[in-house]
Amino acid sequence: MPSNDGKGLSRRGFLRGAGTAAVTTGVIGIPVFVHGEEPQAPAAPTDIDKIASTGATISLSINGQAKEFTVSPADTLLQVIREQANLTGAKEVCSRGSCGACTVLVDGKSVNSCLMLAVDAVGHQVTTVEGLVKEGNLDPVQKAFAEHDACQCGYCIPGFVVRSKALLTEVPHPNREQVKEGLCGNICRCAAYVRIFDAVEAAGKENA
Amino acid sequence: MSIEKDNRVALENDGMRLDIVAKVTGAAKYSTDQYLPNLLWAAFIRCPYGEATASKSSKEKAEKVKGVLEVNMGNPRGRYDGDRVGYICAESRHALEEAMAAIEIEWQVGKPKTRLSREKTPLEKIDAPQRANEAAQAMENAPVVIERTYDTQVQTHCSLEPHGGTVDAKGDSAIAWVSTQGTFSVRDDLVRTLQMRPTNVEVHCEYVGGGFGSKFGAGPEGDLAARMSKKYGRPCRCFCSRYEEQTDTGMRPGSMQYMKVAADKSGKILGARIHTWGSVGTNGGGGGMSNPSRYNFGVVAKSHQDVNLNSGGPRAMRAPGHPQGMFAVELMIDELAAELGMDPMALRLKADGNRTRSEMMQIGADMIGWKDRLPNGSAKGVIKRGLGMGVTDWGNGGGRATVGVNIHRDGTVEVLSGSQDIGTGFRTMVASAARSQIGCDRKYVTAKVGDSRLPPGPGSGGSVTSRMVAPKAMNAGLLAKQELLKAVAAEWKTDAAKLSIKDGAITDGQQTLDWEKACKLIPNGQISITSSDDGPFAPRGTGSEGVQFVDLTVDTETGIVRVKKIIALQNVGQAVFRSGVENQITGGVIQGLSFALFENRILNRENGTMVNPNMEFYKIAGSMDIPEIIPIIWKNEGDVSVNSVGEPPGIATPGAIGCAIYNAIGVPVRSMPMTPDKILAALATKETIG
Repeated sequence: MPSNDGKGLSRRGFLRGAGTAAVTTGVIGIPVFVHGEEPQAPAAPTDIDKIASTGATISLSINGQAKEFTVSPADTLLQVIREQANLTGAKEVCSRGSCGACTVLVDGKSVNSCLMLAVDAVGHQVTTVEGLVKEGNLDPVQKAFAEHDACQCGYCIPGFVVRSKALLTEVPHPNREQVKEGLCGNICRCAAYVRIFDAVEAAGKENA
Repeated sequence: MSIEKDNRVALENDGMRLDIVAKVTGAAKYSTDQYLPNLLWAAFIRCPYGEATASKSSKEKAEKVKGVLEVNMGNPRGRYDGDRVGYICAESRHALEEAMAAIEIEWQVGKPKTRLSREKTPLEKIDAPQRANEAAQAMENAPVVIERTYDTQVQTHCSLEPHGGTVDAKGDSAIAWVSTQGTFSVRDDLVRTLQMRPTNVEVHCEYVGGGFGSKFGAGPEGDLAARMSKKYGRPCRCFCSRYEEQTDTGMRPGSMQYMKVAADKSGKILGARIHTWGSVGTNGGGGGMSNPSRYNFGVVAKSHQDVNLNSGGPRAMRAPGHPQGMFAVELMIDELAAELGMDPMALRLKADGNRTRSEMMQIGADMIGWKDRLPNGSAKGVIKRGLGMGVTDWGNGGGRATVGVNIHRDGTVEVLSGSQDIGTGFRTMVASAARSQIGCDRKYVTAKVGDSRLPPGPGSGGSVTSRMVAPKAMNAGLLAKQELLKAVAAEWKTDAAKLSIKDGAITDGQQTLDWEKACKLIPNGQISITSSDDGPFAPRGTGSEGVQFVDLTVDTETGIVRVKKIIALQNVGQAVFRSGVENQITGGVIQGLSFALFENRILNRENGTMVNPNMEFYKIAGSMDIPEIIPIIWKNEGDVSVNSVGEPPGIATPGAIGCAIYNAIGVPVRSMPMTPDKILAALATKETIG
């Protein structure tokens, strides 16, 4: 079950935790951080206060496996996933939550992992695009993307796939307009949108 | 001619993109995804202003950051926001970021040139071009003369994978992963930078996150990574941030286009005086544009001026010079048609002698409902519907490439080309082209691309990759098949010429042998063919004509444009990979829509800083902006050559949208992007006049 306490997911909590000018600038103008929900009330001070600037070891659960990582307080979840966990499906494109290429699931909800600190993911279930493959089988969303050629260069596609996965949890059988609305936080520069909409709509029809 | 609306005209109609599973699972490794052990991180120090000199600077604090290997601040003068004034190389991302923040520079900000309208030489001071007198004469007593100026904004490529690379130089050899649309141009650049032999430099770009014309060569980022790797004997990574990407990796120059055009009462265009200005970077050119392009404007006197502004320089961008030129040309045609009281399509049929496009216009007009098009500005109500159209074309030269085909004894077929797939579907195209001649089931065929150790091929620029490579792939497939047939013929003790491959099996008319069993007969382990020749597949005259129709609405209270439908008819000669071609066409159309309505690089006019070097204020069309798009793959009878489709589809869209807006509101918006403020301003002038 997705956790609803919002711990670690709140934008204001994130800001307070990071508290540097660079990060503040980066966050101005971002769309809703947790898709499908209003921004939540400030979370309790996070574990970031306990992390030395020189780094500390934390345990993260990624794709169902708990693993230890040495992180600094400023490391984003995306950076740890890519640079340390060697899961490079999620991409860093805009670095400020406006393109969706870094989307991962945190407790089943889609999150821009470039805007979430790694320390805030402690105690939560992180799922990346790689983790959607179960025992060698593609997730139905991935299968729909493949069958509809929903891709050109493919750099944004892991983000679209993961966001679509979350969308189909929020709205199990979306119509075209709901698909468009649900994907409005993701940018595909090659503009394979028509195929992406087709894929998500089809996956929705197959959805139980 | 009838239209195959399901577009089943390709050599491969049903197959999937070969790399689609790798792309939807995150398994596809792009250059940015290479994190090698012992990695160094490098980045440029950049000037944050349009023109500035470092009056005081210190790298002392940056050098003291633990893990920093080198801080260079060799260039005290920045000529544009994003200009490289130095670099840092460090042992970790943290160290690099900390050192970057510790750089101390006091900038003396100059007076940058930021506006084309202000810096350009006025028309009256431009030297008269060739045929100026002749054109003036042709226009002299014409019954209809119109004189207009159009302008377009700067567009950035904004490839999602940033420019850069990781280079691992060891001794006298190096392996590089570079985000590029030119495998071999990067190899040649690195050979020069590293002073190594081409045999010892290996470039990988198996997956590339877009390029759109901006990613040829190793670039400053690849060059820095190579130098640092060689110097420290460790792999080094240097990739742009989004800010760097938006300021210093190329752009489509802005334009102003003056057009004076004269016509007779029948709509025959007699002559034109055209002057264009293009806004380019601090030095050099590249701001020219295609105007009047495909239309016959009679006697044309044309001149152009590149205007240097304090910004990053231009790089080729998907049909460089064309979409901006055709925006002005198409809107001018519609304005002229209004002046003449003619239907704009009738005027186009007169001014464009191309037979394919004439047919396309008739069919597209039926599909969009052109006959219901109301006169400009006569739609009732607050939300007004408009229809518009535009044309496109592209040149089609041949060129050199080599393709390899291996058939293995287990039946698998490998098609090899070093050229890169930047999202076009090239990997699938080259495999399908070879398979079309071999005749085996598609499940046996794979392709390897984007690796400088594979046979050489062109960079993805000028829409040439498919056109140049497909004939060689077909020829290599044909030759490989002949080798296989020889092996079977030897077994059957017959003449290979009597054999063929049908439904994936080898047959002489009587007996058949299935593919896998036939491949077991291959002597010496594998068939290996390389072809640099077109063989019987040499390109013959095949065009890239296209016509597009747009249906949209304009909310006259808010100025918001909603595009409802776009029909894009596009000749690609012999289509190879159907889904890839359709995807390319719709992608080009959407980029054209995005350019027409949203994208706009904005420089602060006082200090030259780019105010939107990101992806929320540099607005790119997103899911909510996407209309229904119908791509029609057009194939003329007898077209057997393969054409590329990267550039033509985006050329017609901005002009067609501009014309549709004019049709809806009855007043032309002559400036891109056609944002709500400009539409409301145009409506205000109409109300004042009216």
